[in-house]
Amino acid sequence: MSENDAARDDQARGDRARGDRARGDRARGDRARGDRARGDRARGDRARGDRARGDQQHSGGSASGATSDRQRRSWARSGQQRRGRPSNEVAVVGYAHSLVRRHAPEPLGVLAVDTARRAIADAGLEVADVDGFVSASMFPTAGAHAVEDGTSIVSSQWMAAHLGADARYTAGFDGVGALTGSLALGVNAVASGTADYVLLHRALHNPVGSYHANPMKAAVGWQQWTVPQGFFGPLQMIALPYNEYLARYGASREAMAAVLVEARKNGARIPWSYWHGKPLTAEEYLAAQTLVDPICRYDCDIPVDGVATFVLTSAERAADLPNKPVYIAGYASGLPPRRRLAQHWPLDDIMDAGFGLASRLWERSGVGPAEIDLPQVYDGFSPFVYFWLEVLGLCPVGEAHRFVQAGGIDADRPDGLPALSGGGALGNGRMHGVPQMLECYLQLSGRAGERQRDKATIGVACHSSPHYGGAVVYSAVPF
Amino acid sequence: MTAPAPPTTPADTSTPANTSTAPTDASTASPAATPTRRPLPVPDEQSAPFWAAVARHELMIARCARCGAFTHPPDIICPHCGSTDPGFTFQPVGGRGTVRSWTVVRQSFLPGFDVPFVLVDVELAEQSELRLIGRLLDGPDAPLRVGTPVTVAFEDVAPEVAIPAFELAGEA
Ligand SMILES: [Zn+2]
Repeated sequence: MSENDAARDDQARGDRARGDRARGDRARGDRARGDRARGDRARGDRARGDRARGDQQHSGGSASGATSDRQRRSWARSGQQRRGRPSNEVAVVGYAHSLVRRHAPEPLGVLAVDTARRAIADAGLEVADVDGFVSASMFPTAGAHAVEDGTSIVSSQWMAAHLGADARYTAGFDGVGALTGSLALGVNAVASGTADYVLLHRALHNPVGSYHANPMKAAVGWQQWTVPQGFFGPLQMIALPYNEYLARYGASREAMAAVLVEARKNGARIPWSYWHGKPLTAEEYLAAQTLVDPICRYDCDIPVDGVATFVLTSAERAADLPNKPVYIAGYASGLPPRRRLAQHWPLDDIMDAGFGLASRLWERSGVGPAEIDLPQVYDGFSPFVYFWLEVLGLCPVGEAHRFVQAGGIDADRPDGLPALSGGGALGNGRMHGVPQMLECYLQLSGRAGERQRDKATIGVACHSSPHYGGAVVYSAVPF
Repeated sequence: MTAPAPPTTPADTSTPANTSTAPTDASTASPAATPTRRPLPVPDEQSAPFWAAVARHELMIARCARCGAFTHPPDIICPHCGSTDPGFTFQPVGGRGTVRSWTVVRQSFLPGFDVPFVLVDVELAEQSELRLIGRLLDGPDAPLRVGTPVTVAFEDVAPEVAIPAFELAGEA
């Protein structure tokens, strides 16, 4: 799109934003809340200034300068007094997480129902109370594996039926940003009164045999344009934009070692993680052979069997439940990016659509990047860490590799940005956005135990790529 | 991570394909193809002219009859003008382009590919962001950077079946 088109687009969004804001203000009529938000934002602006000054020390190059205009536009929009409904009207009130294992001894459905029962009890509820079920059941393998509900996936309908619940609402999200998308279904179900207590679950399965290998002999339909050429599977999908990033910004695999060390360090502290007690050194990372340059096996989360469940309800009902609620301030999902060959994810597609996602996220949640003290970026493939840090405005475009290499995401440093403090996918296993959401919930509800951080007030949990995925802002207090 | 739902749409058999090009026959087909375990394309009503041209070592790309923009692969709706009746026809292109990204594949999840091999993400000269992905036939040590010029090449993989690929075009 040309600059003029972009400007018109911004104008249109701005007009829409103003209209929505006016409607929202009339509906809420809550001047106090607005004042408080403005105060928070003023503090955020100061913090943002501090961070920007810090970044200047190691920023440079015309490329990052060019894109920082986009960032500024995004932040300018985030500064507007606009929040979407339902903001802070719905809360997470309980959770349970299974052990994360390469292959669980019990069927996935058994693991899912057991974990759901634990989450409902954790929230101080009984199965009979839960009347809404949301999930995503994408089975993220390129291999030739059967999809069977209850065995390789667990749908909301399957869950509701096998729990013996009296469901009023079941729904599944079919996009790529699966966890964030299904959470939004649950938030809206509660806010609209469609359901009072919603169970959100994600069940991931690691099939026996090679995860992605596919013995196909004939490339039919959409596959005919890529498979005969040898372009196939998620590793190649991510290798192309990652290599583009390396070439454009002069990044190295040495910088990415810092991401892996950080994810595995934090994952090693999490009892249910597949990598519990197993940190990774930079030397081990750099010694690994690349599989699809520049991706090595450590850059990919490991396929696992595991289930996570969360319970959502209204802020009003949450006040009567045992755990400290964590409020959903806002969310945004990816919109359809430019049409491409299957699994062709050029870097500019990821980033351009990611900036759009971030600006919608800030608009809807009423906060900006400087207010986020717990940014849990998605890391199912390690380059996503760079992409999310940059589209969220947590570091300048093209600088994430320097930022992480300088210890910028070291959660143990007082000045570090705890972007992978929950271990992420690289430090837990392929749980598809669960580690990010769970870390936000545990830290903001004060339930992180020995890992509890002093300052955790507003978190963001990301899932998948910035262009196909989604992100959710969580708050420890409603605002 | 995810194996995303394919962003492309399987060919719609109701969309008329260009049948004006001569059908492949034995006399023009690629010679001396060696047997392969590589997955082979299955042409459909829409894509048949593309694969017939590739078998003759010609690259043709679908072009919208309404707005004239190239689209690869063709769709049932033109992504440029939104026409639901795009009347795509396959038109010859020069086959020259520049490398936008690349990777050396050392582990293939498909049968029949000897590793390592290079994949290049190529923007064709005809239109901005008209991008194809294919093997680079110069081998894993070929010098590559963003912007390296390449030209289309063809791999004969079975009798009357070729696959488009690329090779270095030199700096000329
Ligand atoms: Zn058109």
